[in-house]
Amino acid sequence: MTTVRESLGGRRVAVCVGAGGVGKTTAAAALALSRALEGGKVLVCTIDPARRLANALGLATLGNVESRVPEHKLAEAGLRPRGELWAMMLDVKRTWDDLVARHAPDPARRERILRNRLYQQMSAALAGSQEYMAMEKLYELATDRDYDLIVLDTPPTAHALDFLDAPDRILDFLGNETARALLAPALGAGRFGLRLAQLGGGYVAKTLARFTGQQVLSDLGDFLQGFQGMYDGFKERAGEVRAMLARPETGFVLVASPAAAAIEEALAFHERLHAESMPVAGLVVNRLTPDLWPAATPLPGAAELAAPLAAAAASAPDLGARLAATLAEHQAMAAAERRSLAGLLARVGAAHALVPRLEGDVHDLAGLARMADRL
Amino acid sequence: MASLGLLDRRLLVVTGKGGVGKTTVCAALALLAARAGKRVLVCEVNATRERVAPLLGAPASGPFVREALPGIFTVNVTPHEAMREYGLMVLKFRTIYEAVFENRLVRYFLRMVPGLAELVMLGKVLHEVRAEDGGRPRWDLVLLDAPATGHAVQLLRVPSALVDTVPAGPLRHDAEWMQALLVDPARTGVALVTLPEEMPVNEVIELDGLVRGELGMAVAALVVNAMPPARFDAREAAELARLAAAPPPLGPAAEAGRIQALRAEAAGRYLVRARAALDLPTTVLPLLPVVEWGPAAVGEIAAALAAAPPAEARP
Repeated sequence: MTTVRESLGGRRVAVCVGAGGVGKTTAAAALALSRALEGGKVLVCTIDPARRLANALGLATLGNVESRVPEHKLAEAGLRPRGELWAMMLDVKRTWDDLVARHAPDPARRERILRNRLYQQMSAALAGSQEYMAMEKLYELATDRDYDLIVLDTPPTAHALDFLDAPDRILDFLGNETARALLAPALGAGRFGLRLAQLGGGYVAKTLARFTGQQVLSDLGDFLQGFQGMYDGFKERAGEVRAMLARPETGFVLVASPAAAAIEEALAFHERLHAESMPVAGLVVNRLTPDLWPAATPLPGAAELAAPLAAAAASAPDLGARLAATLAEHQAMAAAERRSLAGLLARVGAAHALVPRLEGDVHDLAGLARMADRL
Repeated sequence: MASLGLLDRRLLVVTGKGGVGKTTVCAALALLAARAGKRVLVCEVNATRERVAPLLGAPASGPFVREALPGIFTVNVTPHEAMREYGLMVLKFRTIYEAVFENRLVRYFLRMVPGLAELVMLGKVLHEVRAEDGGRPRWDLVLLDAPATGHAVQLLRVPSALVDTVPAGPLRHDAEWMQALLVDPARTGVALVTLPEEMPVNEVIELDGLVRGELGMAVAALVVNAMPPARFDAREAAELARLAAAPPPLGPAAEAGRIQALRAEAAGRYLVRARAALDLPTTVLPLLPVVEWGPAAVGEIAAALAAAPPAEARP
């Protein structure tokens, strides 16, 4: 069976998706490192790495631009890559600002948007904003740069599928023509309510304003007005991002752990990707309890461990009993994890990697390299 | 500060990194409060799959408050239903609500005003905290099973963000009373849940700073979940590493012991780190060798919480 690494072999973009806390960032970094070791210029774009991992990758000082993981850091970890490893940390606000700057027809329009209160809140806090910008950045990197492989670590979404839905939702917001027309401050008067009233929704406008306050709606109108003319550029780009995600040179990597919630998220994601004909390159299950004892053989009791323990001159009080209990607990956990994973493994046809719970946390390049070996 | 029992507040917000057991801890706290004779409401926020009621052995409640066990009520607060209730409250009459809110365009606005969905969901929860029936509070305790770190901060920040950016008006007015309730340490507390592992501990330390600093809320307790027992001492652990290479049955048993000892040792270090960084009343819950999470496991967690209620880290 092919490994996840092999399955990514011919691809240019890998997107790691899964629930929070399953080791997505680590898996993304390990996949990137492994390709860089084989040769190739590889970028890992991460969202919120553990500090020590960030330090190991040289990310601590980074903003929204890529930087190369220094050769000496790799050498210190005993790694001699044939390729290059690059890393960056996504800055959502900056990516939004860059996007606005790129599409704004003139500096005045750019400033108007950047200063709008709703824009400032939205770029930082609107649900889905992070996901949208991760996609946007990915597209920019994939088209403007010469990486052989870009690995994207996705933000921890409240709902995994938000990642695919966010761009459409936000574009729907930015591009709603009716809304823009209605909210456009009437020339001179600048009172959106008048326009809404003229269109026959008098009491609707009044009650709506009672609900949110007039100013909020005016800000929204101003904001949408600012985006007029830029929307087509945004929309076109979102279409291209989507097309890129569906190409065979892209691969989604589902990342899960044996926890029920993580398995559910991975399954939901898999169904969705399948429905959208987006290519799944592999499944990584982290933090698995290693299987130490054949299921068909009865587990040893304290009595059976007593003789070999004595022979090994290990005779701490009740050590045999404690070991027997520990092994039994360990195996019960291992068996339960495999039962809960069976459905997911059967469903996902792509390459699988089952990574045992690693001893110690993966927070340096050597740890990443060990993890990469398992992929 | 006078010591205030964890469950003596009106609102307890439970949060932490994804996957640390927030929901289980929430369900266990609800059990304890109900046993103490309290009437409890547990709120989940827009959960794809509701978990609290099922953990207590009851059917999911959906977007309407429903009694899961005697004295314990649950609800999954959704933006749609919260918006409807809020709209009805503001507008008073159903017919007006329907005329206004069933309007596609209006719904679009409401969805797109940043933070409004969060505001109405949080508003629903906080409204329950304030609600009175026949002159007495409807709930003795409201537990909010908040989303994971980043999303929780985003949710709890909404009232103050609106107070800062929205001019006077109904939205601002609601944001103000919500904010006042959130930052009142006599009524509201935050319980932080973590695992004794590197990332969750880092995140909980950061979260503590955000909750106190940026949100201005009181952190009531730290719950360190799933602490493995110290079953082997350091000398034994070293010996197990040597014995793990032995043939079965000793080898595999020693390997299981070695892995357990490593985990317990690392967990001990992260617990020390968390305690050192966070001067909080702390409860350490044991790692349960649990395969199926359900009422029995929640009962065990509740028993562990009752046996070791959050104690001051530095008395």
